[in-house]
Amino acid sequence: MLKPVLWACAAAALASGCAPSWPEPKQPMVEAEAAARSARELGADAQPAAKLQVTLADEQIAAAKARIAKGDNERATYLLVRARADAELALALAHEQTALNDKQKAVEQSSTTLEANTPKATP
Amino acid sequence: MKTISALGLILTLSGASACGSAVLPPELASARSVYDRAAAGPAASLNPTDLHTAKESLDAANKSFADDGASQKTRDLGYVALRSAETAESHARALQVKTEMEQVVANMHATTATQGKQSAEQLAVANKQLASKDQALLAQGVALQGEVALRQDAEKRAAQASADLAKFASVKQESRGMVITLSGSVLFTSGRSELLPAAQLKLNEVAKALTEQDPESLMVVEGHTDSQGKADFNQKLSQDRAQSVRDYLVSRGIAGDRITAAGFGPSRTVGDNATAEGRANNRRVEIVVKPKV
Repeated sequence: MLKPVLWACAAAALASGCAPSWPEPKQPMVEAEAAARSARELGADAQPAAKLQVTLADEQIAAAKARIAKGDNERATYLLVRARADAELALALAHEQTALNDKQKAVEQSSTTLEANTPKATP
Repeated sequence: MKTISALGLILTLSGASACGSAVLPPELASARSVYDRAAAGPAASLNPTDLHTAKESLDAANKSFADDGASQKTRDLGYVALRSAETAESHARALQVKTEMEQVVANMHATTATQGKQSAEQLAVANKQLASKDQALLAQGVALQGEVALRQDAEKRAAQASADLAKFASVKQESRGMVITLSGSVLFTSGRSELLPAAQLKLNEVAKALTEQDPESLMVVEGHTDSQGKADFNQKLSQDRAQSVRDYLVSRGIAGDRITAAGFGPSRTVGDNATAEGRANNRRVEIVVKPKV
């Protein structure tokens, strides 16, 4: 999987070379959609900051499809690169939230366990 | 001069046209700022790979800005660089939180292990104390059994001695204690307080029986007479006879501090002094064995 920026650069190189036109960004589309799906599967929709990034990714994927339909593959490519970056940030934020939740559970469990194991003073 | 100025303007305009606007696009400005923040934060040590990716994205955006100015491409690459830096920061925060959580769990395990060890030690001490108490109770039980056996044996011997005593003396259990009554005629010659030889044999049996009884009980030897004769004489005679019996019993092993003598003369009759049989019954020595308080 190429990094988002490298996709744009590779496509630009092709376009500026002997290729007649900017190639259709099939692979960037697959990767952007996969990243958005992964973010959702990890609970990005349940966390406001992550949800915003997924929404942005969705909007840019939709915009890229419209551009491809119009033959504007260059703009579509950059939109997909942006979408993938948004989706990956959403994924990271979802992971971060999961870690925070896990830590909170551990703190609560620790408190409960330590309280249960502390000898009670007899009256 | 005008030609040079116009040429300079044309060159400037053409340069601006080639590079797009020289104003830094907000996406790239934010990307630089966030990247600097990420590089100065925990991401540098916790996830340098992510930070490196963010740096590559920022380099690409910077290059685009250098080549094309604030073009759409520069803005897109700046946007990607911004997200990349934010992603690196988020990953670093998640790693930090994970480390903190592991520390919480480790602390919990360490504390519960310490508490468990303390509980085990307290339990061991309690068990040891219980075992010690058990041993003490066992020893006490054994001692008690021994004591019971000894007491049963003593009671058996006392019963046998009492039975032997009953052959020549009257033995009664009264509120003042066990009363052993010996006839005066068996012990003494009339009017005298020296023990007859036959009396000594009987008192040997009495001493044996009293020794077998509770060795801590106190005894009183009481002398009694009938009402014949002078009262003073009878009083002294009863006292002397009681003393004789008491002294003989002490000589046979009864501790001196356990036994006393008292004379009552004719004051405590058990029979009718008007008859010979009654007077014979009144002439007596009683040994009162007082129950232990």
